[in-house]
Amino acid sequence: MTRSRLAVAAALAGALAVTACGANEQPQGGGQATATRGGTLRVLTEGQTVNFDPAKSGSLAVTSLALVHRRLTAWHNKPGEQAGVVPDLADVGKTDDGGRTWTFTLQEGVKFSDGTPITSADVKWGVERSFSPAFSGGLGYHKQLLEGGADYRGPFEGAELKGVETPDSRTVRFRLVRPYGDWPWVVSTPAFAPVPRGKGAEPDYAEHPVASGPYQLAKYQKGVEAKLTRNPHWDQKTDQVRAGLPDEVVFQLGQDASVVSQRLTADSGDDKSAFGASFVSAAQLAQLSGNPSAKQRVVTSKSGALAYLALNTEKAPLDNPKVREAFQYAVDKTSFQIASAGTAQLAGDVATTLITEGITGRKKFDLFPTPPAGDPEKAKRLLAEAGFPDGLPTLDFLVTKTNNAPEKAQALQASLARAGIKTTIRTLDGDAYTEETSVSPTAEFDLTLASWQPDFPSANANIQPLFASSEIGGGGYNLSRYRNPEVDRLIDAAQATVDPAEAGAKWAAIDELVLRDSPVVPLIYTRNSFLHGSKVAGLFIADFPAYPNYLQVGLTP
Amino acid sequence: MGTLKFVGTRLAGAVLVLFLVALSTYAVFYLVPADPAIQACGRPCTDQNLALAREFMGYGDPWWRQFLDFAGGLFTGRVFGSGPTAIRCEAPCFGYSFAQNTEVLALIGERLPVTASLAVGAAVLWLVTGVGAGVVAALRRGTAWDRVALASSVAGVSAPVYLVGLLGILLFGFTLDVVPVGGYVPFTTSPVDWAWRLALPWAVLAFSHAAVYTRLTRAQMLDTLGEDYIRTARAKGLTETEVVGKHALRNVLLPVVTVFGVDLGTLLGGAVITERVFGLPGLGGLLIEAVGQRDLPLLLGCTLFAAFLVVTANVVVDLCYGALDPRARLA
Repeated sequence: MTRSRLAVAAALAGALAVTACGANEQPQGGGQATATRGGTLRVLTEGQTVNFDPAKSGSLAVTSLALVHRRLTAWHNKPGEQAGVVPDLADVGKTDDGGRTWTFTLQEGVKFSDGTPITSADVKWGVERSFSPAFSGGLGYHKQLLEGGADYRGPFEGAELKGVETPDSRTVRFRLVRPYGDWPWVVSTPAFAPVPRGKGAEPDYAEHPVASGPYQLAKYQKGVEAKLTRNPHWDQKTDQVRAGLPDEVVFQLGQDASVVSQRLTADSGDDKSAFGASFVSAAQLAQLSGNPSAKQRVVTSKSGALAYLALNTEKAPLDNPKVREAFQYAVDKTSFQIASAGTAQLAGDVATTLITEGITGRKKFDLFPTPPAGDPEKAKRLLAEAGFPDGLPTLDFLVTKTNNAPEKAQALQASLARAGIKTTIRTLDGDAYTEETSVSPTAEFDLTLASWQPDFPSANANIQPLFASSEIGGGGYNLSRYRNPEVDRLIDAAQATVDPAEAGAKWAAIDELVLRDSPVVPLIYTRNSFLHGSKVAGLFIADFPAYPNYLQVGLTP
Repeated sequence: MGTLKFVGTRLAGAVLVLFLVALSTYAVFYLVPADPAIQACGRPCTDQNLALAREFMGYGDPWWRQFLDFAGGLFTGRVFGSGPTAIRCEAPCFGYSFAQNTEVLALIGERLPVTASLAVGAAVLWLVTGVGAGVVAALRRGTAWDRVALASSVAGVSAPVYLVGLLGILLFGFTLDVVPVGGYVPFTTSPVDWAWRLALPWAVLAFSHAAVYTRLTRAQMLDTLGEDYIRTARAKGLTETEVVGKHALRNVLLPVVTVFGVDLGTLLGGAVITERVFGLPGLGGLLIEAVGQRDLPLLLGCTLFAAFLVVTANVVVDLCYGALDPRARLA
């Protein structure tokens, strides 16, 4: 899932969703029967590699990596229900000092695939290993939070990380540099999968990892396949999020998306037991609509990544909040939906808030009520009030060349022009785009299109990466280069809040506060669709994340 | 002595070309405003993580310094990082792919048999059908044979390989269900399965390539058949088969060999689209992955290897000239 997790502009904005039913209904693969134990499940994957090294992984807690590795906690992941933290290898954690120290107790009887018991030392080793420069690249939300983490370089030369303590073989205690209410979510990220103490120094650990989940990696051939077979030491009774139904799971790598779609549509032989890991594109969905059998085998998310127009708040005239507010009215979200996927239905619902569906604290509001097609006259009035009665000087609208972004930008360009906002679209290749929008300390662009899906189901992961001033440049995702000391202070306060409901309310307030400043225009919650073969059963997409749950899927006999 | 000198000059030229390709790949990669370390930075990416990743992979130095390290590694090998997690790449080290956790040379070695199977099989097919159709079209100029050959060559030249591949899969794979739709079985595992799975990719690649050869052969053959020495050969009383097969075809093959050498060399470097459509784990897929993941060492390895093949093909073509055409032989 490395590609799907990276949400800025290019990676997620692309292929969208469909079905022929109402916008709020969510067909969960109408053709699916009840899954039984056994069989070989195939996952058809575009990527040439699939990474099973927890330290280097950015995989969501419900997809590929979680078949092989358990983490301290897991995600409650059911359609129509909010995401929540549930126990995995350990309980959901306790804090008695307001979120600065967190203690987790491992379940009894959990074992590695080699039969040795999983102890707190193995969890500590796994976390420490993620700090080694040789194994960087995964999710690192813990790295700045753990005490001593700032200068720690991994355990392989004997140094220990001060912030992780193991008072006994079943207890792990984390000491953080500041109170952090979402720590139970952070320990659901890949780096909190255990690695047997002393192991994993070799660069290709990803190809023979020691498993803790229902499957172990039996065979890995780059560019060809990764074959998972049962881990005999995994005990279903200790695991409430993994069903472990198929006997084998085979990832077929390097598959062309169009061919995958054709194969799954044809639904013959082994492909009956397969599903595609990539989004079904709008064009493919249009083809499928004429095929009732295949259409039944499409699973579509109810919601998804937030697509938004980012306004560079550092550059005049966009440094003026009044000018930015005009954009909230000028943009035609309907034309964006059509440019994205042909219809509003296929693209996803219009967005008016930052926090995405399925996440605790999400409050629906609309600070700038307009019809979805926008209100150019109101936008003009706002611009006149801001001192631009004749419209704005021509703005630089930067987008990537991939994923339909230029077409989407053209749709927005036309709608902005109605309000007297002239733009020039500039396209860049993925790397150069990332460099200018995310890495460079200064940015030339005025507007850009982006998309974001949180890495874990907390509003914190919706908002902090996009709007904290610490995330400007240097690889951060604050593309609007939005800087508001009040928002920074409130983000810190919300992050320090332990009670999820209380924290959720704080995040909702920040959502509103940020949008009052209009650093971005929320566009849509992008839908994703996936196609599966006729023997696949139990493949569903919960409200968050907009990806299928790999852990519960099985096959019919 | 002349031949030796000729071969020596050509080889030295080839090495120089490869050196320039490597140097310009490095330079271009660093002129593009993109940081290869960003992929290894993780999320959230802090300045500190980025600096650590850069340092570990050796991307912190200026590009010319990195190029010298690369060139040195060919003779002495390289070590990345230190301590128990250090990564060793033994000489000749063509670089190490951090994204794939493997030496670049090993990755190319793993993928080469797939691409070679695809390229060589398709090449045989298109050479036989393309040249054959061209000869027939020339000999039966103006007949239905000629028109069919020309029409299909127009289709072959104009249809993108991607489209032909997908249509092939749709027709022969799904609708008629006569060939498998993809995947690769090594020759050593089962020669029959190997050929069976490659049949459709071969046909698709050959269809696109043969077109050029048909047109080239036809035009060249028509020219040649009008030459004086052909009239002389006929006047000597040789059979038509001897005239065409022995006298004309030899002349026709000169330009064909030139094009063929470069085509095959290019294809061996990775048939990107065909491999993708048929899910074949060849060098083309490796190249796509390298570009997508900003994997400079792998990108450089694939580029150099492709350049090496094209350069080698050109040298071989030059040497073949002598065999085919006595006029081109060195005294």
